[in-house]
Amino acid sequence: MAIVNLQDVTYKYPLTDSPALQNINLQVQEGEFVAVVGPNGAGKSTLCYTLAGFVPHFFKGELTGIVEILGKESHNSTLSEWVLNVGLAFQNPFNQISGAKYTVFEELAFGLENIGIPRDEMKTRVADAMKLTGISDLAERSPYSLSGGQQQRVALTSILVMQPKVLVLDEPTSQMDPIGTREVFGVVRRMAERGMTVILVEHKVEWIAQFADRVIALKDGQIFLDGTPAEVLTSPLLQENGFGVSRYTSAARKAKAIGLWKKEELPVTLEEAVEGFSRANAGRVV
Amino acid sequence: MLIVIIPLSFVGKVNREFFRAFLRLILPAASFLFFMQAFFQPVGGTVIFKIWFLDITKESLLFAFRNAMRIAVMVSSFTLFLLTTHPSELMSDLTRRGLPGQFAYVIISTLQILPQMQAKAQTIIAAQRSRGLDTQSSFLRRMGSLGPLVGPLVFGSLVEVEERAIAIEARGFTSTQIKTSLYEISDTSLDRTIRWILILLVIITLLLKLWLS
Repeated sequence: MAIVNLQDVTYKYPLTDSPALQNINLQVQEGEFVAVVGPNGAGKSTLCYTLAGFVPHFFKGELTGIVEILGKESHNSTLSEWVLNVGLAFQNPFNQISGAKYTVFEELAFGLENIGIPRDEMKTRVADAMKLTGISDLAERSPYSLSGGQQQRVALTSILVMQPKVLVLDEPTSQMDPIGTREVFGVVRRMAERGMTVILVEHKVEWIAQFADRVIALKDGQIFLDGTPAEVLTSPLLQENGFGVSRYTSAARKAKAIGLWKKEELPVTLEEAVEGFSRANAGRVV
Repeated sequence: MLIVIIPLSFVGKVNREFFRAFLRLILPAASFLFFMQAFFQPVGGTVIFKIWFLDITKESLLFAFRNAMRIAVMVSSFTLFLLTTHPSELMSDLTRRGLPGQFAYVIISTLQILPQMQAKAQTIIAAQRSRGLDTQSSFLRRMGSLGPLVGPLVFGSLVEVEERAIAIEARGFTSTQIKTSLYEISDTSLDRTIRWILILLVIITLLLKLWLS
């Protein structure tokens, strides 16, 4: 059975006329790593809030349809019960720091204190999570003295440490350099292999292609495409509808138009592009 | 009171910092207060001596001494408190003793967020000045430029509050579970003894005060 089950979900923010989400049907299996792409205003963040229970418990407005995680419906449970199963980290790391703690270690323990984890377990969990995301050396620093990318790692770790069944991430690498981004994607992939279900909003399509199991393209609050990274990210519909496309895909598409790309399918990552172009040029004297 | 506070600073192992604060801040302020009040307090009575036109009376000396000591005691006990108590320990202990978590959060996050607000105000000022906002000429002009500075600060903070609320909610802030704490607050027998002695002292002084007057 699907761990995440959305059926015909439509949601309107208060005081708005057009729905932010429209007839969303989405089933996600346990341990699946789903990436969500889409232009600004497509409803990506709203989808995250809906999965994490903040719609309808925090944001008012009209929600119709079924939002079900682990067989429980969100409107039948309270937000504080919901967050035990679904963790949410979002874009702006600065506002995710609780402001009540003086070191990163304490900051990471904040969530565990709230849900009443015993002290010894709390310490091991925090230490393990810091090792996982590579921030052990920041343990004694003040969360406010960190760089944007470091704060973002702290924000991600502070959710990971709570060990939710479903992890919802809204652009968790927006302030990171390429190396940091790669590491975070690696961590998220590993969590998915351990059985955590991941739903990740991200613009960096090349990374999605390498790490995610499935990609959903959102547009105007509706699911526009849903499939494997290779299917969705190379679809000609993406570019036509204002989605971000990998530069390797667009290069190969142009090359294909003039006969330089021989393969049927287009590449998303650098490796696929190199492989395809070298095959096209095999036997030719340069 | 000072007789009580000074030994306590040794117990708390902050005697060096305490004396530094005492010598640099509390002592000068208290003596200044003492002299000003001794000279200019118009309470009549037995004149002890005269400097030029200033009368020093027994009453004014006593009054000045009492006020100076009050200030010294208040400031030094607060200094001692700040030197020995880490805010996060104070809060986890208070929550353990039954203070609501929300209340503790408000106090402690205010302490941390104020410097952040200040930094943000600086950023806004710099941003608006780089777009030609006048912040350095005449008073009236500067009052006029307050709007573009305060507006973004206030509205920005309101937006931030919403996000921060989501963030701490996502970490189970309103969970109905009994909260635990990362730190164990040790309450030793020494702590308990000192606490009882202090409470006793307060009661005795109150009684003395009532009995004497």
